[in-house]
Amino acid sequence: MASALEQFVNSVRTLSNHGNLRELADVITKSSEVLTKNLQHLDNVLETLDVHQHSLGMLAVLIAKFSCPNVSLPDNRFVQAREFILNCNVDQVRSAPDLFAEFSHLFTNYLVEQKTAIKGIHLLKLAIIRLKYLSENQLTSVHADLCQLCLLAKCFKPALEILDVDIVSICQENIHTNPNIPHFDAKYFLLYYYYGGKIYLALRNLDRALYFFEAALTTPAHAVSHIMLEAHKKFILVSLLLLGKVQQLPKYCSKVVVRFIKPLSQPYNDLAQAFTNNSFTELNNIITKHAEVFNRDHNMGLVKQVSSVLYKKNIQRLTKTFLTLSLTDVASRVGLPGPADAEKHILSMIENGQIYATINQKDGMVVFSDEPDKYSGPDVLKTLEDELSLCMEFNNRILLMDEEIQVNPQYVKKTAGLQEEEQPSKSSFAM
Amino acid sequence: MPLQFMGMAQALLQNPVVEPMQVDALPEDNENNEETFYVVENPTIDLEAYVNSYSGLAKIHRLIFIIDHCPALRLEALKIAISYVMTTYNVQLYQILHQRLADVTSSMNVPDVAAASASQDIPIIDNSWVDQRLKKAALKLEKLDNDLKNYKSNSIKESIRRGHDDLGDHHLDCGDLSNALKCYSRARDYCTSGKHVVNMCLNVIKVSVYLQNWSHVLSYVAKAEGTPDFSESQSAKETNPTIFTKLRCAAGLAELATRKFKLAAKHFLQASLDHCEFPELLSPNNVATYGGLCALATFDRPELQKHVVNNGAFKPFLELEPALRDAILKFYESKYAACLKLLDEMKDALLLDLYLAPHVPALYAQIRSRALVQYFSPYMSADLRRMAQAFGRTVPALEDELMRLILEGQIQARIDSHNKVLFARDADQRGATFERGLFVGKEQLRRARMLVLRAAVLKSRLQVQSPPREQGESAQPQMQPVSSGARS
Repeated sequence: MASALEQFVNSVRTLSNHGNLRELADVITKSSEVLTKNLQHLDNVLETLDVHQHSLGMLAVLIAKFSCPNVSLPDNRFVQAREFILNCNVDQVRSAPDLFAEFSHLFTNYLVEQKTAIKGIHLLKLAIIRLKYLSENQLTSVHADLCQLCLLAKCFKPALEILDVDIVSICQENIHTNPNIPHFDAKYFLLYYYYGGKIYLALRNLDRALYFFEAALTTPAHAVSHIMLEAHKKFILVSLLLLGKVQQLPKYCSKVVVRFIKPLSQPYNDLAQAFTNNSFTELNNIITKHAEVFNRDHNMGLVKQVSSVLYKKNIQRLTKTFLTLSLTDVASRVGLPGPADAEKHILSMIENGQIYATINQKDGMVVFSDEPDKYSGPDVLKTLEDELSLCMEFNNRILLMDEEIQVNPQYVKKTAGLQEEEQPSKSSFAM
Repeated sequence: MPLQFMGMAQALLQNPVVEPMQVDALPEDNENNEETFYVVENPTIDLEAYVNSYSGLAKIHRLIFIIDHCPALRLEALKIAISYVMTTYNVQLYQILHQRLADVTSSMNVPDVAAASASQDIPIIDNSWVDQRLKKAALKLEKLDNDLKNYKSNSIKESIRRGHDDLGDHHLDCGDLSNALKCYSRARDYCTSGKHVVNMCLNVIKVSVYLQNWSHVLSYVAKAEGTPDFSESQSAKETNPTIFTKLRCAAGLAELATRKFKLAAKHFLQASLDHCEFPELLSPNNVATYGGLCALATFDRPELQKHVVNNGAFKPFLELEPALRDAILKFYESKYAACLKLLDEMKDALLLDLYLAPHVPALYAQIRSRALVQYFSPYMSADLRRMAQAFGRTVPALEDELMRLILEGQIQARIDSHNKVLFARDADQRGATFERGLFVGKEQLRRARMLVLRAAVLKSRLQVQSPPREQGESAQPQMQPVSSGARS
């Protein structure tokens, strides 16, 4: 037994020194069984390896340690993991993203079980930054793990730095030769966008939350995942909160999703229907009728927000159509119980700057005034400039992507091939 | 409700006792009373004359519609329908109609003594006629079938085509619409000239109208118009006016049934009265009513003037329906109260029209909205009380109506509910433009981001698949409860 371990250490050392990383990765995958069988000696193995020079070897040992269910005291795994993330050799780890992803999942599960999610947030974020996934706008399954930890620890801000980046490529974590099998587990993709959406939701960035849920929903699919279903429920609620109606899913959304997800979230569709009809009684009926479902899905808070937004939406509709209106009329048109409630709602909306109106308490009239000119002054210029620079930045990125495709050998071959074939017969245009 | 009639016919077939169209039963009931009143008062809805402008199934379908919707005319309509059906091979319909007749007379005789005198000339079911007709129909079918076989063995295209057409005619006569459609469509393979193709299209259109298959109607109208012989002759309108008018009307009818009123109006307005002879489809009066109403509901003032009021070709149509003509002119002269009054008077008659009835409320609502918008357009402020008077409404009802229009953006105004005045509002063009510009920009950026992400997803061939083992299935839902408690 011990000899097998020694052999492992030796091969890790020689291969690391020669820089033969691919072969090393092979050795490591083959020796995972040996490692799990010799748990008690693994600490000794770690000591013989150098964090910087033999990062892959250490990674393998750590995976073995984390994947073992029964722990021998004292538990020094967290310290070792931290040591590894802080000091590992970036190039070596990047050569085996599959191993690192596995490590990250095990580490996350370990923290979740220990209920110390907050301890891992900093480390995983550091790992993403150190391994340059952030600067390359690349998505890894570590992202999903980080979001999960943030949600559990109710500590959202650290994730923002990662979430605010637009993903342009996806890390190839599943290494195999068959090009038709995805190189990234869809589960982690969905989880990243679902968790990310929830984090934005918690921070009241509804716009971005909607974007994340939509990204989860439009993932190519042959089957509907539970994650997509949950994302769809939140998608409906958020889009009601933000836009006042349910945003249409884009056409490229997979057909299975469109077909199966609607009937599966019927209470939410009913809610949206009632909301778009501006009918308050209908909305309340649906909320009480499906309260159990909403509670079970942990969406009751959002549902309540939706119902309070409906009052506001209805009052805003009134400001568009009326110059003056009595408080009793407001109450009856909006569906509030009495003029006092209407007054309270209007007051709070005036204070929040959502409507522009004055209440005349003497005769109980509300006078709605026009919005003051919003689009003048230097602030507008600044927002415009900011928007413009965003667009320009994005345009540059797209140009870069375009260039990348232009020089892609496969693309060049295909377009060049087409032109050659064009001369003898035009039928090749069928491409 | 395009298939309303078919549904009704089927209900009749399955269980003749059940009142058909139960969905509509409630609103129809109170309308019926008005209709009875109206029909008795005004002799212009003369059933005999009305029905005489149709032939074939169109006549029967319209009669059945009246039978279903107007108790006062029910008996008379049934009699006409039965006597007409006896000239065809449609035995099934004959039996259904008799069943209806029996229901009507039995329910009428008990409460109403006056009707008893009328029941003297009620036709009784003639079973020998039924048997005879069935036999004859079968014989004719066999003969036509044999003929067709002969033609086919001789493989003379023209004869085969005629054979198919004859067979289709016979099926139509027997009331077997789906077989008729099949036969007419089969003739298509044997068409040798553009004229034949157009002919085939017209046959298919006819049956499709009876079947209320409107998308079929539209596609065959397009097909007929695309036929080289027909379209090449520069202006089909001049060389082939009858076919042209017929195609326009069929297209208009299909658009009307699918609630595309503006398109329907445009189609109907191209018809010409001198060549409007197709009693198996529509009467010229129908063309006038459908076209006029749709135009009134959807055209703006300049369009109305150009295409309706000053349209020489459509004027003769309108002369057939003087009430509608007056209504259009009144609308055009901005005398909305008079126009709406005229329209209200016509409403009952329109509700007896097979194709128009389902759309009457929608069309009337549109005409009303348009009138309101036009009434207010020249003013800066308008007194709601006077406006309510002009439109025959109470002030609160008018307020609701206006609120809807304002929210839809059709009227740029706001209501002063305290003083009951409607004020025009200057649209803040600049602000709106800014708002819209920023919104579009954001939307575009968002979409571009999503597409870049999607490109990455597709590149890595990422796909949600059903997990190969059960283990994977359970792993996914497990992931969520872990953290869903973190809702703020």
